[in-house]
Amino acid sequence: MDSAMNAKNKKSVALADQRINVYGFLAGIYRQELVPDLLSQIRTPPFRGVLSDLGANLGDEFFARKDEDMIEDLAVEYTRLFMGPGKHIPPYESIHHERRTDGDWGKFWGASTVEVKKFIETAGLQYKDDFAALPDHISVEFEFMQKVIERERDAWAEGDRDKALYCLKMEKMFIDDHLIKWVPRFCSEVVSNAELSFYREIAKITGNFIEFEKENIDAYISDA
Amino acid sequence: MSEKYSKSRRDVLKGAGAVALGVAATSVLPVSEVSAAKKAKERWAFVVDLRRCVGCRTCTVSCKSEFNVPLGRWRAVIKTVDWGTFPKNRRAFVPRLCNHCAGEVGTKGQESDVPPCVEMCPEAKSGKRMTMDGVRYRTGATYKRPDGMILFDNSLCIGCYKCLKACPYGVRYIDPSVKLDKPNKEADEGIGKCTFCDHRVDQGIEPSCVQGCPHGTRTFGDMNDPNSKVSKLIKEFNLDKSRKKTTLLPDEKTAPHVFYIDPDGILSHYTFDHKDQAKREAEYRDRIL
Amino acid sequence: MSTITRRNFMKFAAASGAVLAAGKGFESEALAGTVATQTGRDFSPATGKERKAIPSACWQCVSRDSMIGFVEDGRLVKLEGHPKSIRGQGHICARGQGGLTSVYDPDRILYPMRRTGPRGSGKWKRISWDEAISELTGRIKKLRDAGHPEKFLFHYGRMKASSGKLIGGLVKATGTGSIGNHTGVCESAKWTAQEMTWGGHFDNWDIDHTKYMLIMGSNILETHTNHMSVAHRIMHAKIDRGVPMKTFDVRMSNTAAKSDEWIPIKQGTDMAVVLAMTKVVLDKGLYKGDGEEFLKFCKCTPKHDDTVANKIAALKKHYANYTPAWAEKISGVPASTIEKIAVEFATTKPAVLIAYRGAVTNYNGCDSERARQVLSSLTGNVDAPGTNCKAVGAGWKSAKVPKAKTKKVKDIFDGAPKGEPESYPFPTHHASHQVLSRIKAKGPGTFDLAVWYCYTPYFANGNWAENEAVLKDESLLPFVISCDTSYGDSTHFADMILPDATYLERFDWEDMVDPTQTGEYYIRQALVKPLGEARDFGDVMIEVVNRLGMKTNYKTKEEYVQQSVDMTPGVKEAGGWAYMAKEGVWNAGKTHYFSYKEVILDPKKQVCKVGGSVYEDLKDPEAICSYFGDDVLFDNLAGVWWHWKASKAHSEDEAKQKGYYGTKYAYKGYVATKMGDIAYKGFGPDKVNKSGYMELWSQILVDAGYNALPEWMPAPNQKNMGSDDMHLTTYKVCVQTHSRTQNNKWLTEIYPNNHAWINPKDAGKRGISDGDKIKVKSPIAEMTSYAHVTENAQPGHIHIAHHMGHIQYGRYASGNKAPEGRSDPDDKNIHWKWHGSHPNQVIPNWGDRLSGFQRWNDTVVTVKKA
Repeated sequence: MDSAMNAKNKKSVALADQRINVYGFLAGIYRQELVPDLLSQIRTPPFRGVLSDLGANLGDEFFARKDEDMIEDLAVEYTRLFMGPGKHIPPYESIHHERRTDGDWGKFWGASTVEVKKFIETAGLQYKDDFAALPDHISVEFEFMQKVIERERDAWAEGDRDKALYCLKMEKMFIDDHLIKWVPRFCSEVVSNAELSFYREIAKITGNFIEFEKENIDAYISDA
Repeated sequence: MSEKYSKSRRDVLKGAGAVALGVAATSVLPVSEVSAAKKAKERWAFVVDLRRCVGCRTCTVSCKSEFNVPLGRWRAVIKTVDWGTFPKNRRAFVPRLCNHCAGEVGTKGQESDVPPCVEMCPEAKSGKRMTMDGVRYRTGATYKRPDGMILFDNSLCIGCYKCLKACPYGVRYIDPSVKLDKPNKEADEGIGKCTFCDHRVDQGIEPSCVQGCPHGTRTFGDMNDPNSKVSKLIKEFNLDKSRKKTTLLPDEKTAPHVFYIDPDGILSHYTFDHKDQAKREAEYRDRIL
Repeated sequence: MSTITRRNFMKFAAASGAVLAAGKGFESEALAGTVATQTGRDFSPATGKERKAIPSACWQCVSRDSMIGFVEDGRLVKLEGHPKSIRGQGHICARGQGGLTSVYDPDRILYPMRRTGPRGSGKWKRISWDEAISELTGRIKKLRDAGHPEKFLFHYGRMKASSGKLIGGLVKATGTGSIGNHTGVCESAKWTAQEMTWGGHFDNWDIDHTKYMLIMGSNILETHTNHMSVAHRIMHAKIDRGVPMKTFDVRMSNTAAKSDEWIPIKQGTDMAVVLAMTKVVLDKGLYKGDGEEFLKFCKCTPKHDDTVANKIAALKKHYANYTPAWAEKISGVPASTIEKIAVEFATTKPAVLIAYRGAVTNYNGCDSERARQVLSSLTGNVDAPGTNCKAVGAGWKSAKVPKAKTKKVKDIFDGAPKGEPESYPFPTHHASHQVLSRIKAKGPGTFDLAVWYCYTPYFANGNWAENEAVLKDESLLPFVISCDTSYGDSTHFADMILPDATYLERFDWEDMVDPTQTGEYYIRQALVKPLGEARDFGDVMIEVVNRLGMKTNYKTKEEYVQQSVDMTPGVKEAGGWAYMAKEGVWNAGKTHYFSYKEVILDPKKQVCKVGGSVYEDLKDPEAICSYFGDDVLFDNLAGVWWHWKASKAHSEDEAKQKGYYGTKYAYKGYVATKMGDIAYKGFGPDKVNKSGYMELWSQILVDAGYNALPEWMPAPNQKNMGSDDMHLTTYKVCVQTHSRTQNNKWLTEIYPNNHAWINPKDAGKRGISDGDKIKVKSPIAEMTSYAHVTENAQPGHIHIAHHMGHIQYGRYASGNKAPEGRSDPDDKNIHWKWHGSHPNQVIPNWGDRLSGFQRWNDTVVTVKKA
């Protein structure tokens, strides 16, 4: 094992860890309203620095407002943006993924939902019984990526290059066929409709990250 | 593959039960066997009994649901026809769908032509070579199947929309949800229209609107089978021999294969400006006032 | 500008990793299991489509037809009628087909919500189900502990079969009897009239065996309480069997259009025509034969055992002035037509008389229906094959639902208290449309908690301005919970929203009336899992009563339904739930006619022994009371044996003194009625004290100060109509239900708005052209609409359909849509801009003089160009 764990593999493990972190973080952000613990971690100076480094301008109020008030504001914003009632932006792929050939998009549980569900299940993952949202929720897609990359990371760590490559190809397929097809579009809608800085800036970062992934995934495969 | 099996397919049984129980038989028979089993190929036709239509729109909505037709586009509609002055005024309903025109029917009843929509399609001969019931034909962006169905294939369509211009009935629409594989400079959206539910009929199930209609207004079947319900209705009401009174726009000589049972002369009160493309297409929508 | 580079990505990743590692706030995940790799499997999503067919039942309207749902890859893709159902015979209507879009409605509510801004501001926050149920349970518990469980107002719009039994039962188990329904806006005048005459409510028309169809105020081919199962039989009868179909209607409905004859009739005057038709039947002796035979089972005079000759004489006397010429003046229907139709109806047997809302939504609603019962009785067209029959439905057993003693707030549900305007003598199905104004009249403190279940008081009732004022007033309604699938007009004014499962995502046993008189048992099962966190309110109420400490043998409504189905005789032997889940429908194959001829005692055939004596006839009915049981009395006026202890009488003496008709709840102890020498079950009572006779002559009406026989009384507000005044009548169209289908896009694109029908004569006088904007003004409010100038409207009338004019609800119904039209590709295809204007806003909440039923069609308006 040690011998297999050469420098190149170590680098791959590190890269995978970084991507796992980002997907995991974003999955958590979109999965539900912020809870106090998470909010306070995001508001720590180091994280603030990172956000600012990413060009995210959350504004002073985000960091100054009282915990319980901020949590309440964010919960209302989360509901308004993603659930309605009234004008809102459902965080589901089947709503935003414009399928030009069959026109089957713009609705809940559409063709994309079916494809995502099958993709995830074919990959050997199951939806938890108590999971109540639709199978193509943005947080599920991010969590799926997180889990596939975790497997890739483990493969590198075990020196199993074939397996790691296999995972990478799966990641690429999911980015190409799903994430890039709708996440940037979804995020730009959130950006233009958000009232609080938090979801606006997080949406910018999310959209940019998926585009960054799209640009780099081929290199990750060829470098591997 | 017996004769009996083949007949039951042609008669298009009441389908819902079959689908419900998952016993719908497929009709993919080897060409040679079909040819050997029967001489005449199917000729699908549609009979609308105007005495029965109450304007309930079950057909319209079941069609919308079957094909997920975009808002403002229609494959099947009902037109309300009003005439006379209160209290002697009258109201009636005329269901409309693609007429699946033969184009031209010879004096002996043989079909030798194609309807205007197929004739005008520049891609009509671009499709695959296909064989049905021993008859060879080509598909196209808009084409006629040997069994009389007028179908379309958006993978071949170039978006010239000449078929829309050609159809005197205005039953074709541009489908905003379908993007063409071969778009031209001006247009990249596909077309849509009633298909007689070929995907159901080919599985031995009657069209969605026929299944849906609660009042028995709509009958679909094989004109070439003298025992089919459509053949019996055509004979009983002399539908194919009096096309002037039993089909829409008989003067266009398109030989529609949608026939109307109309003893009360309702069709004589139903007119629209079919020479104007915008107007005939605007007419082909379902709207209750 | 926000961008991601290699460098800041690494920092971001590291920081995210720190947050993840802390693990707080990231506990719930969607996915389980591990990623399996190198299994040799392809990653491309499979393309082979499975299609699953599941029997279930519609619920778009109360007809609830059996259907099949088709599911592909977990998405519901199509609905069709159930081919094995004897009710629908494989058919559902356009609304049924369009119901599919309810599940995937882009404006659907998927999570419990709590209001954050002022009431009605539209600001909401998602809450958990636990929080929502804790809130509801806590509020109920507080009221129970304070000894005021009745301050919990539960008001439902549609709650039928197992939903009614379970949810209604569980609500009562919390101790409240303050339960509102919606029959007062539906057809209650008809029900009350039927309860006064033949006992139970609901008539069925045996279309399969009839030879003549007379229709009054019913657009049955487009919409009806038992719509498609009857409608398709009507058209088959007409075309296949040549059965004549004659229709009276104020406007050219589709039903009128398909009839052999449409007879336009002035609003609210059907009763006058029926009275005159009855006179024709009496004058021409057309009651002879079948009519006379049936009159033996009718009460037409104060005496229960009167002779048929006396009955005829009494009717002739009462109907003397109701001549066709008199009716012509009132109704506008030529006397010759009235006479012709009367003769046809009385001589073409068997015949059905289908009358519905249009015939009862007026001041005379209840008596109008009683008048039709007289006509049907005189012609022998009652409860026999091919006639108007007492309805038959499935008789399901119910698994045990917890019970409690209930209390109810008074003077809320039945209109105003006695002596005040809008009080009614027989509100047997309540006056639900007046609940909000009654709450206003009683003032703050009446209720602490209100729950709307599948109910929209704002939209479904008249006088919208008052509805809005009450709904907004937190002193009158301190806390309101709306259980709804979409964001309805009333949900907008709630404090908490519970997202309900649609009918396509839940379980029920069903029992709608069967047009074949057989009684079909059928079920509804979930075709897909509820979307998001939507949850059947039955499940919610089970959890509520469990938290209140009451036990149930089921944790979900699905289990309740399955247990009930497995208990039900007949169905149980057929295989119970396993059978029903697979087949969807079951019936015993036996038809039911002549229900009233059930013999309780025929001394000629049964031994009637009391004490030591044997009775061979019923000449001394009092002597044989104990044959029927302890504490049974015979009432000589009614001819009824009854068990007085089941009533509110405190003693036998009181019961005897007040008598059967005069004792509250005496009908609950009804045993049998003496008709000649036989004790029949007869047309037993259901909600009022009546005998087993078909009571065309009503003692309870006499006791309440009204005419015992149907009596024409002009509507007070229409006595002095000016030349400019018009009748406003409402109607329904074939692709919409009243309130709940307007966000079904395929339905609403066919009927996106409700133009006001006006005849060219009336339009011309007012300078109105087709498509013009108009103003319609009633004594309480003014509305705008657009004119549809048409010969199909009757002169002197303006006809405006319901359905449209939602303020909230969704993009197709009201224009409220998601940002940038992004969330549904069809948004850009929405081809209508006007979403309609609902006539309810100008119609007062008032009532039929006997039952309190909403007088939808009695409003007088002026119309002018806007």
